[in-house]
Amino acid sequence: MSDNTAAPVVKSEHEIGSGMSKKQAKKIRMQSMSKEEISYVRRKAALEKIWPFFRFVILFGLGFVILYPLIYMVSCAFRDRADMNDPTVMWIPRHYTIEIMKETIKAMDFGKTLKTTLLLNIGCSFVQVISCAITGYGFARFNFKGKKFLFLIVIMMILVPPQVISLPLFAQFRFFGIKGLFSINLIDSMLTMYLPAITANGIRSGLMILIFRQFFKGLPKELEDAAYIDGCGPFMTFIRVMIPNAASSFLTVFLFSVVWYWNDYYVSTTFFTNTNTVATMLYNIDTRLSEHLFSDATVKIDPRELIVWKEAGCLLSITPILVLYVLLQKHFTEGIERSGLVG
Amino acid sequence: MNEQNAVSAKTEVKDKKKKVRRMPYERRKALYGYGFISLWLVGTLMFFLIPLGKSLWYSFNKVTIETGGIVTEWKGLGMYSYALNEDRDFTDNLSSMLIETLWKTPLILIFSLFIAVILNQKFKGRTLSRAIFFLPVIIVTGPVFKIINGDMESTGNTGAEQFSTMFSTDLVGELMQFLGIYGLSDKMNTIISAVADNIFGIVWSSGIQILLFLAALQNIPPSAKEAAQMEGATAWEYFWKITFPYVSPFILANLIFTVIDSFTSPMNTVMKRILETKSEWKYGEASAMAWIYFLIVLAAIGIISAIVNKFIYYEVD
Repeated sequence: MSDNTAAPVVKSEHEIGSGMSKKQAKKIRMQSMSKEEISYVRRKAALEKIWPFFRFVILFGLGFVILYPLIYMVSCAFRDRADMNDPTVMWIPRHYTIEIMKETIKAMDFGKTLKTTLLLNIGCSFVQVISCAITGYGFARFNFKGKKFLFLIVIMMILVPPQVISLPLFAQFRFFGIKGLFSINLIDSMLTMYLPAITANGIRSGLMILIFRQFFKGLPKELEDAAYIDGCGPFMTFIRVMIPNAASSFLTVFLFSVVWYWNDYYVSTTFFTNTNTVATMLYNIDTRLSEHLFSDATVKIDPRELIVWKEAGCLLSITPILVLYVLLQKHFTEGIERSGLVG
Repeated sequence: MNEQNAVSAKTEVKDKKKKVRRMPYERRKALYGYGFISLWLVGTLMFFLIPLGKSLWYSFNKVTIETGGIVTEWKGLGMYSYALNEDRDFTDNLSSMLIETLWKTPLILIFSLFIAVILNQKFKGRTLSRAIFFLPVIIVTGPVFKIINGDMESTGNTGAEQFSTMFSTDLVGELMQFLGIYGLSDKMNTIISAVADNIFGIVWSSGIQILLFLAALQNIPPSAKEAAQMEGATAWEYFWKITFPYVSPFILANLIFTVIDSFTSPMNTVMKRILETKSEWKYGEASAMAWIYFLIVLAAIGIISAIVNKFIYYEVD
């Protein structure tokens, strides 16, 4: 409601007294308004009444588009495969079973896979966040020759898709060492993921360096000066002054890093032949299933029925990350706003 | 008082120490800067720049892998002409992918801005709706999305069909008829149906974009909103005169992000073709394809950012 309408109300209420209904007050208020004002107020009131309804419809519909596959996943994972061919079964299965889940766990070798994934995932994410923070700090707070050019390389790291460099990288890890002196085969060892992570060159590290640079740029310069006067060298300043200030943005970037490493199957399928993460398992789930469950050639599985196992695999592999998301939802969504990527 | 004296005494001592050292503070700081980025510099040389250069080199060569290393044979532009002239799959995928990116990117941007504006309003259940709309962020980069999408397609549940099969009517058509816009023009019908059919892909790939737009919206000072209300701006005017200028810098960022995201998406058919070529041990050809795709997209981003930059309003502090 605009302010120029509020003034006459107060006045009129004073004049006539308090023994007046709201309707009458409104009538008097309307009389003191010009035609344009009345139409504006009316339009606004109508919009305010209708809009929440439309908003609800829009959000509900689109939210359903997002949740639909997840609900479907849960519904599929616990149903018997015969239900897939039953046209009356859409959401609620007729025959509940946890056999499918058990079989999928067996086929994916879930215990061992999960262990490998966590070892790779948490370790790499952690190391990469630290190395990217150090690099980002270097770009944000120091002036040195060639900084602009070097930062251009960081931008390039964001733009170049991993597929472009994956083959030379593979060769590099296959014959790792100094040419002519020695070379070791690093393929299938976790070092292929850890080495780039340690040197801030892992999955989406360019983006992470950028985020940290923006964040550290936003911190006041006085912090640094104060630390210097108190006798801190630049490195100690970073550890004792800057890192505590950046705690929440560290957590956000770490969470995103965990998600990206968890979901990565491209880099892992390039460098691993025998080591399997949850993502690579799921990527090859068709072959895994046919090897472990349907190795008997007489068993014929309809592709429609295969969905049951696939959805069970999906459910298994997103559950850990989903739990993380539900628990730390705030840091996923609010951290980016505070991390300084904005502005 | 005493403490202050102690501090100033300390700084004096420091100053004396500084004089003893030859190197000026600024240069010392620059050296520290190199120190901070040295780790990344080494890694980037080894795991980014050298591989990048090599892959460019491979794209001009016939590459064969033998025991003991990689053997290259100079072919000039032969690999590029192979990719463009002989590999039908690649060129077909490339053109369809580029066309898809061309119309999907603006849709994703418009959609995510719209949703961000809604999610920025105050209403009951806002936190829950935000959580739901950001949910794709954690799933869409992984293989789960590929399976979900595949299963939806094989059971005929993508897009508008998903609702239509559930309620067994042509929902989009009905809605358009209800609004009285059905049959106004054939073109509009096809556009609306196309959007509705792809709603699944669009909603699922605009998580981060919504997040960024929402962050931008929260940067709009409340005074701007107050002033607009005083002047009697309608919601429509408010959007175009206040909201849009404020979020415009993020349109470019989101645009670049969307395009890059489509690179690494599991649904990207061009990348699939490149990987297939690679698994046939045709490394030179695969590198050439990757570079063609990369250069086209880079050029597109360059042109679009040059155009968009002209219309962006940057707040001068």
